[in-house]
Amino acid sequence: MKTIVQFLIFPGFLFTAVVGLIASWIDRKVTARVQWRVGPPWYQPFVDMVKLLGKETIIPKGTSAVTFLTAPLVGLASVTLISMLLWLTLLNPGKGFIGDLIVVLYLSVIPAVSIIIGGFASRNPLASLGASREMKLVLGYELPFVLALLVPVIKAGGSIRLDEIVASQMATGATATSLSGVLALIVAIMCMQAKLTLVPFDLPEAETELMGGAYIEYSGPPLAVYKLTKHMFMFALPIFLVMTFMGGFGPSPISLILGLLKYVALLVIIVLIRNTNPRVRIDQAVRFFWGPMTLFAIVAVALAFLGW
Amino acid sequence: MFGCSPAAGSAVESGLAKISCCGYVLLYPILIPLLLGTLCLFIPKRMRYASELLSICTSLATLIITICLFTIRPWAFIWRAYPLLNLDNLSSFIMVAIAAFGFLVTLYSVGFMKGRLHLNQYYTYLLWTIGASVGAVLANNLILFLAFWGFLAITLYLMINLQEGEGVSEVAKKALIIIGGSDAVIIFGIALIWRIAHSFDMNAINIVINSKLSAAAYLSLAIGAFAKAGAMPLHTWVPDTSEKAPLPVAAFLPASLDKLLGIYFLVRISTDIFKLNVAMQTFLMALGSFTIIAAVMMALVQHNYKRLLGYHAVSQVGYMILGIGTGTAIGIAGGLFHMLNNAIYKCCLFFAGGAVEKERHTTELDQLGGLARFMPITFVTCLVSALAISGVPPLNGFASKWMIYQGVIELGKGGGRLWVIWLVAAMFGSALTLASFMKLIHATFLGQPSSDKRVSEVGPAMWVPMVILAAASLLFGIFVYKLPLKFLINPAVEGVRLSGLWSAGTATILIIVGIAIGFIIYLLGNLKGLRRDPHAYTGGEILPDEARVTGVEFYKNVKEMQPFATLYKLAEKKVFDIYDILKGILSYFTGLFRALHTGILLTYITWVLFGILVLLWIFMR
Repeated sequence: MKTIVQFLIFPGFLFTAVVGLIASWIDRKVTARVQWRVGPPWYQPFVDMVKLLGKETIIPKGTSAVTFLTAPLVGLASVTLISMLLWLTLLNPGKGFIGDLIVVLYLSVIPAVSIIIGGFASRNPLASLGASREMKLVLGYELPFVLALLVPVIKAGGSIRLDEIVASQMATGATATSLSGVLALIVAIMCMQAKLTLVPFDLPEAETELMGGAYIEYSGPPLAVYKLTKHMFMFALPIFLVMTFMGGFGPSPISLILGLLKYVALLVIIVLIRNTNPRVRIDQAVRFFWGPMTLFAIVAVALAFLGW
Repeated sequence: MFGCSPAAGSAVESGLAKISCCGYVLLYPILIPLLLGTLCLFIPKRMRYASELLSICTSLATLIITICLFTIRPWAFIWRAYPLLNLDNLSSFIMVAIAAFGFLVTLYSVGFMKGRLHLNQYYTYLLWTIGASVGAVLANNLILFLAFWGFLAITLYLMINLQEGEGVSEVAKKALIIIGGSDAVIIFGIALIWRIAHSFDMNAINIVINSKLSAAAYLSLAIGAFAKAGAMPLHTWVPDTSEKAPLPVAAFLPASLDKLLGIYFLVRISTDIFKLNVAMQTFLMALGSFTIIAAVMMALVQHNYKRLLGYHAVSQVGYMILGIGTGTAIGIAGGLFHMLNNAIYKCCLFFAGGAVEKERHTTELDQLGGLARFMPITFVTCLVSALAISGVPPLNGFASKWMIYQGVIELGKGGGRLWVIWLVAAMFGSALTLASFMKLIHATFLGQPSSDKRVSEVGPAMWVPMVILAAASLLFGIFVYKLPLKFLINPAVEGVRLSGLWSAGTATILIIVGIAIGFIIYLLGNLKGLRRDPHAYTGGEILPDEARVTGVEFYKNVKEMQPFATLYKLAEKKVFDIYDILKGILSYFTGLFRALHTGILLTYITWVLFGILVLLWIFMR
């Protein structure tokens, strides 16, 4: 019962949703400043959510309505679970379990799966194309992402427990303070950009060519759920990188504030990348991840083995 | 280490007098299907129901007997001081799995094979396969094992040949030659074992691989296991068989049974008969990792539902071999667990393909689409299995992969750097698996349909097995410690320590709660505004029928990327097919000899004279 309450309120759904929406406001505000605009007030994302909930839900004819409506929910559930796992590990050091790193890694693919299934179920060629791009993007970034994550694992003496990885960084300094750690972090940030499908890797949505791609047929509450999932992921995923590469943080207030600053730093990097780059083509994206990024990650792993 | 450890071994010997009188019960699950299957052959063709009923009853009886035997293990059948059959922790759970899949496939066949010719033969071969498989798993004597094992190649050949169509006999021949050829290698390996250990009893042999002879013996037996399970490079019969054989046969043999048998034998020889050295382990892990990636890359670009699954049947073997190759207890347990899981979801995926084939009469992906509405049960079971095979938590595929990863990492703690490669290959393999199954789901069940023709869900004889298997995927994933690991896997592998585990049950509850939150959001929203719009939004224009995305070409970008483009081209030319390579070598030599057979008498006489001269020269010297 306690777990369910944690899941619903803190550090699960409510917490992640609120912070995620605030993060999306930061995103919009920074974007606006980069483009010499004023930007929305802080409550704008919340208002947008309420507005979407009030709109009608349109289901394209001839689709499996259950699949169409359930697909967004699976993504929401998995992101909530990821966020909860990460925060519980951070707030209760020593409470992890073996292989929670792998669990988080695998759970973080589910939001993509939910978008893909939703897009496929839309019975729209543009949605199918968008969803297939999302799948190819997953193929692309998964290889360098796994390799990059091996660097903190090697640094922590082969542990695949998140709390042990955080603890070893607290003892010997963050992963990103070493050469291999910096390289791996760069790769991981690129992969994160693609995982969040932000420019230059926003190919699945690509408003100008696919008119929203996988989301094209979604409207009203289901679209709200997709948007919310994306915002929540924008909170959970950088926290994951903070834990694995940037030393993580503990339950004490100072440590928490430091941790949040690290998070905001990552968020600003994401937003800046997204505002200063054009969208790439899907084959360029896959080539980018399988080529230079994988090479970088391999070099990082080799350096980590050498102790750099 | 395994069932034939001193504990079980001594039970065999000390229980000699006690067990030998009642060890005959071990013969029941072998002989009942073999005999009743033979009886099936004599049922007239008109009495279709009789042969169906008989085979269902027989397979069910076998299943019940094996479950009863499972509860009384360890047990042995000793005939004149020869311990012929041995039921230990490892063989017992695989025996139950064989009988369970046998029953499900028989049930499914009743629905699927309706209206086909030679049904009595089909059911006969099916029951023979069950009996011989149980025999192969229980056999403690290597020669007896080989007899059952070889018999299975023949039943597979016969069953593939029951399908009508182009190229079927070619495929059957290929399967028989690859499997039969590897059986010959096993004979060689057994001869070497006799030379080393002077025994044919599996429980009595314990060879440490420290010489070329013992390494050769191990590899000879392993080749047999690889060919059966379909590991690279002996895999090429699996995709062909999957595509051309009658579907229940594809679901039974390459997808589930041959995995159970091949991996059982590999585990048996790797942990029981032989003690592996580091070089062998590295070889196994390299082979496993290579199989994972190479086969799944092939699966990515397939156009046929069954052929795509066939390549996955190969790719998944890689995980099992990788797990066994780690040599750590958790890795071996993970490999065995993955074997069981793979049999469950792969069988279900094939069944779903069969349901589609039954309704749409094709499994070409570009001619399917949009079936989810009409076949909800097939769709949901297929989706669950597809997610399970891709290792999405909390399904069973994730649990076993997670154990294998842990085995690899545990190995890495002992030193060495290569574990990174194995780990990355295995993890990246699951992303590729997910990709190819998303394509399959889109092309078959979602997306735009190829025609507006309505189809209906298949009958209960076909959907009941699918639902059972999908439910097993869920249950084995959610209650991973309480069910499969506790009762089946952990007893078979000694020294599996599982501590501080991921609680799949809690995670499942939380995911369900999360979905419920989403539903509440829907309810908060404007639910009355639900509207089914007639057409997809494509810039205000109604979509023409030919503007359809089938999904078949989803990964064309990847296919056209170097170096994959070259590799795919070579693979399409069957450059990597060991069968075709051997065929090429063989036809080269036959070509040489054929060139000599010109049909001109003068040439022949010249050669004969030349031969006599040579002989004369040799003898007169």
